[in-house]
Amino acid sequence: MGGLQKKKYESGSATNYITRNKARKKLSLSLADFRRLCILKGIYPHEPKHKKKVNKGSTAPRTFYLLKDIRFLLHEPIVGKFREYKIFVRKLRKAYGKAEWGGVERLKENKPVYKLDHIIKERYPTFIDALRDVDDSLSMCFLFSTFARTGKCHVQTIQLCRRLSVEWMNYIISSRSLRKVFLSIKGIYYQAEVLGQTITWIIPYQFAHDHPTDVDYRVMATFTEFYTTLLGFVNFRLYQTLNLVYPPKLDGQGEISLKPEFEEDYALESESYTEKLSALSASLARMVPSAEEEETELDHFPIEGEDLEKMEVREKMEQEQIKQKKFFEGLKFFLNREVPRESLAFVIRCFGGEVSWDKSLCIGSTYDATDETITHHIVDRPSIDKQYINRYYIQPQWVYDSVNAKILLPVEEYFLGVTLPPHLSPFVEETEGDYVPPEKLKLMALQRGEKPQTEEDEEEEEEEEEEEDDEEDDQSEEEDEAEDEANLAEMEEKRSRGKSLSVKVTPGKAKAENRKRAAEEEKAEEKRLAIMMMKKREKYLYDKIMFGKKRNVREANKLAAKRKAHDDASKEDKKKKKKKC
Amino acid sequence: MAAARKHKRMAASQPGFLSFNSGLDGNSSDIKRRKRVNKNKKKNWNKYSDIQDVEEFLDDVRLQEKAAGGLIAEKPDASLFFVDTGEKNKETQPRKIKKVLSLYSLLCHCFFFPAQSITVLFFSLLETTVKKGKRSKPLRIDLILQPDSRIPAPKNVLAFQQPNAKKQRRMAEKAARLAAMGVLPRREKLLQLRRAAAASGLPVKETPVANNNPARAFYDLWSAGTPETADPYYLEQTKKKLVKRPDRLNEKPSVLPAIEVVGPGGSYNPDFFSHQDLLREAHEVEVKKLKAEERLARQLAVKEDIATEESSFKEQVEGLIEEGDVEPEEPEGGSEDTVIGPTATQEKKTEKQRRKEKAQRIKELRRKAERQMIDKQQQLFQLRSIRANLKTQEQRTKQRQAQRKANQEAQKSMPRRLGRLKFQAPDLDVQLSHELAGSLRGLKPEGSILKDRFMSLQKRNLIEPRERAKFKRKYKVKYTEKRAFREIV
Repeated sequence: MGGLQKKKYESGSATNYITRNKARKKLSLSLADFRRLCILKGIYPHEPKHKKKVNKGSTAPRTFYLLKDIRFLLHEPIVGKFREYKIFVRKLRKAYGKAEWGGVERLKENKPVYKLDHIIKERYPTFIDALRDVDDSLSMCFLFSTFARTGKCHVQTIQLCRRLSVEWMNYIISSRSLRKVFLSIKGIYYQAEVLGQTITWIIPYQFAHDHPTDVDYRVMATFTEFYTTLLGFVNFRLYQTLNLVYPPKLDGQGEISLKPEFEEDYALESESYTEKLSALSASLARMVPSAEEEETELDHFPIEGEDLEKMEVREKMEQEQIKQKKFFEGLKFFLNREVPRESLAFVIRCFGGEVSWDKSLCIGSTYDATDETITHHIVDRPSIDKQYINRYYIQPQWVYDSVNAKILLPVEEYFLGVTLPPHLSPFVEETEGDYVPPEKLKLMALQRGEKPQTEEDEEEEEEEEEEEDDEEDDQSEEEDEAEDEANLAEMEEKRSRGKSLSVKVTPGKAKAENRKRAAEEEKAEEKRLAIMMMKKREKYLYDKIMFGKKRNVREANKLAAKRKAHDDASKEDKKKKKKKC
Repeated sequence: MAAARKHKRMAASQPGFLSFNSGLDGNSSDIKRRKRVNKNKKKNWNKYSDIQDVEEFLDDVRLQEKAAGGLIAEKPDASLFFVDTGEKNKETQPRKIKKVLSLYSLLCHCFFFPAQSITVLFFSLLETTVKKGKRSKPLRIDLILQPDSRIPAPKNVLAFQQPNAKKQRRMAEKAARLAAMGVLPRREKLLQLRRAAAASGLPVKETPVANNNPARAFYDLWSAGTPETADPYYLEQTKKKLVKRPDRLNEKPSVLPAIEVVGPGGSYNPDFFSHQDLLREAHEVEVKKLKAEERLARQLAVKEDIATEESSFKEQVEGLIEEGDVEPEEPEGGSEDTVIGPTATQEKKTEKQRRKEKAQRIKELRRKAERQMIDKQQQLFQLRSIRANLKTQEQRTKQRQAQRKANQEAQKSMPRRLGRLKFQAPDLDVQLSHELAGSLRGLKPEGSILKDRFMSLQKRNLIEPRERAKFKRKYKVKYTEKRAFREIV
């Protein structure tokens, strides 16, 4: 009954939020500084649930922050630095205006500088946290490192980004952790697995820049400032885990061989070392000179039963992975000058291949085009004049496709002047029943170890194969439902056969127990029973799911049929053309 | 003569040369700014070349020759100095043996040079030597000017006082005491520290490196440092320890991944069907946009026909021209049905009426209660349907809950409204079939990664959507033709 009347907007969500301008005033910073601070500290605007309440009755669109976040910002030592910087700029401007050059010098010497180390430690309390968030920083660093030095951003920033990205690439090479590469129309996507974390990043193609006008460069530069610091610390730690020297040093043996006489032509003395590092052609020096990369063997523990099987499987996987990690080993590549050098060198070296290029193309080439031991020569032009007989001349896509397939693909489809097979995205993972392009099917078959077909009868076989595929797909529709029944029928048949056998007793033979088969049967039986035992509602759901799956299959089949029709049409066209010729 | 002069110069340039004149030390303090004059005229040579220092030097040499019969620097010490035992004039001379530069004193007397660097001592001797000299007897004029009063002038106390003398003395005493104890003043200490640092070769202050310095060093940030032992409250208050970051801030504002990989259709050499898929997607987006545009145009279109000449004319002559005898019939039925307001002057109810009404009311209530009773009893037989009802209701709420939850989940990956502008998804990067390059060499990259990154930041709610600030001119630009230009054109 009694008590004071409550006033509006004095509690609840109205007091939990603060508008951007108020927050700015509370911190007494300019808008640009406030923005920078928020980016660096990782404090983002928040959309309130009830805007009108928060906005005290007004519905004007505003940017809101949580008040607690802003209170937290008040403790940040960088805020003081920002204010100092503001004063520094004012003083400097004044000194310039008065043409006091001595004063300008003195001020510049004492320019206030802030550090981001503590912020990184605060935002990423552990190293793994930082590693999880390194995607963004990698993309940004690689992007900024490709900028021209035109004043869109600070030249020093570009240099730092370049340094960090080269360090990262060198780490990936020496840890052999690259997994996927995808050449898209935007740029090149890479995926690596570092200390159990999947890390994806994108690198733009070289010389691809026209600076877009609708991007706020100041915001991007702030993000980059933070990300470079983060990436630097992450790099340091990663180098430590591999026992590599940081900042990276080229391996001693490699250095001697990397001394062509015209090095001075390529880069200044001061820059040549970093350039050589960025050439990615030599391995890095280690803290402890290790005896030829010792392979870490898994520890063996005596385990019984199921665990043993699991262990075996895992061991096998492990070994396969190790094998995959260096499937380019022993191959010697030579890059022609028209192919993207850095990307190819990076990918090839990641999988243990040796790579070189023309001396005049870039620093750090290790052997010449005339070297007899070169196995693969990567060319991206329709024809080449002088060809060596003991090496393959292939297009660059072969390297990327092989990396994605994790095997050495047959080179025939990638020869000079041949129309390339499509470059499939390794980031797509088909679920059961999805449409899988025939190229991928072929690839999977190759991975399973089926032998690749020869080129002559490829066409025919391909057709057959496709037909088979189609049949299979058609069947698969019914298979799902028929499978169970069929299995059951088989089992029953067997049983009945057993009954009708003659009574004669024969010496017992150890029946080759098909364990796998039995297990399968058992599973099918279980499934059937489970279906029978379902409640009505669950049964309904189950039917629905099955129907969805079948529909997927049907659609995939349709696509496959379409593809076949398309291929047939194109083939006929070709034949006609041939005949005409 | 020339040779002699040269010799003198040589002597003067040597380090041992002593000059009489203090101004000859070379670094005379009053270096004026040189006047810039043309030296191509002989007149100016004499006028503006500054030969004063040379003149002074030569004067000095001449003086030395005159007075001492040669340059002093070349004379042996024995000819210049003697040991003054100080016995002759007892009242002024102290007992000590002193080196007195007798020649010097003489010269000083003659020319009255300002005090030289050598001697304070010399001045104390000056008076005695004056007496000894040729003109030791004072001039009469000087004597007249001497005060002859018998009463001594009062001492000017202030002249002997030093301001703050007591304080300074005390401070000096304290400093001496501290020095005896080995405590140096702060200034000395700092000086020594600086000297030690310079000697050891280390930079005194580590100049902080800018964040974007390409040569900056990194270290192991996550190594376990020494654990803090001090009171955390104390550390926080003295700003030695930062405030703990709330865990809430480590959550990301969106569940979207940092890098969204384009679909398989975005490959530089895509599979036919995935490329078609991508094209279809892009097409759908375009169609949607087009539809929205059309709708807007439709909504903004002027709905009625625009007046033409003909129609406006028709309007003007409307009613003037007789068109047959078709007259609209007015509906007449409506006019009768006028509403009459309540003409209520209600009469008072009689007692009987009231009683009746009350009885009615009670009866009604009873009837209702009975009805309820019956209904309740009947519900016993409707149990099944009620249960079914309840079930459906429950199901509906559950469904709604699930829906709401799903919506919330979906919201997490959606860009929020964070400011004045809404997030607008950028156009899909697509290359048409004829734009696709067959080889990596011929590939023309589509779209900009920089923009892509920027949009991704917006999409993940890390920054509010922004647009480029529009250029707004404060004043109108006024164009004028220059006269010279106008004449030509």
